[in-house]
Amino acid sequence: MENNKSPLDSAFRALADPTRRAVVSRLMRGPVPVKALAAPFAMGLPSFMKHLRVLEEDGLICSEKVGRVRTCWIEPARLAVAEAWLAEQRALWEAGTDRLAAYVETHMTGSIEDDD
Amino acid sequence: MTTEDASLTITRLIGAPPATVWKAWSMPEHLAKWWIPAPIECQVVKLDLRPGGGFETRMREGNGAFQPHVEGCFLDIAPEARLVFTTVLREGWQPIEPWLALTAIITLDAEGSGTRYTARVLHRNAADSRKHADMGFHDGWGTALDQLAAFVEGG
Repeated sequence: MENNKSPLDSAFRALADPTRRAVVSRLMRGPVPVKALAAPFAMGLPSFMKHLRVLEEDGLICSEKVGRVRTCWIEPARLAVAEAWLAEQRALWEAGTDRLAAYVETHMTGSIEDDD
Repeated sequence: MTTEDASLTITRLIGAPPATVWKAWSMPEHLAKWWIPAPIECQVVKLDLRPGGGFETRMREGNGAFQPHVEGCFLDIAPEARLVFTTVLREGWQPIEPWLALTAIITLDAEGSGTRYTARVLHRNAADSRKHADMGFHDGWGTALDQLAAFVEGG
């Protein structure tokens, strides 16, 4: 944990933007040079670099410059934190729904009159 | 994909008509039976089913004091069809700082002789989740979930 923001906060903040989500999604398939990564987006390279910087500062991606080419790749650990949190929320709601279904089906069918 | 906007959707076919499933949600004595997994005891404090109406449940283990569980406000109520609540407001639309900001959209659709039950849950972002963890979320709902998992897997 960092001092004033958790990895999870960072991950979600970084992923709140559609361009950054698209970048992460693309990098899931492997490392990509910045220029190729920027190509599909209708924005100038400086604007695009700002998005990369957010992702890099928040630890979702890494980049390295070799010669004149900067290449980006995904940093899976940070993403996993965000996914784990949402998976936990999902598990809670799944379990609640299971309990509702079990309760309705075992206690409320055929004896509804008794409930009032 | 769900990670991107921090929302999730759960759907289940329940073997009872929407009117019955609605009762399980809308009557405190029924809600208390399934909203929190046993052995944690659920107390339904507010279940005021109208837009702006309060929704509050508390929980306790053993003979301890009841602890906060959910505090929220209903946004939309369509009997036997839809129920929406959020935790960023409490009764009377009063804004609050919740443990975990979420809006839950529950829908019931008749399907055959049963009910297609769908829960769509929207989260603001993960900033709350850290607070949630700091405040002992994992000892409350998390523990409850572990117990449920043990129960389900044991059966």
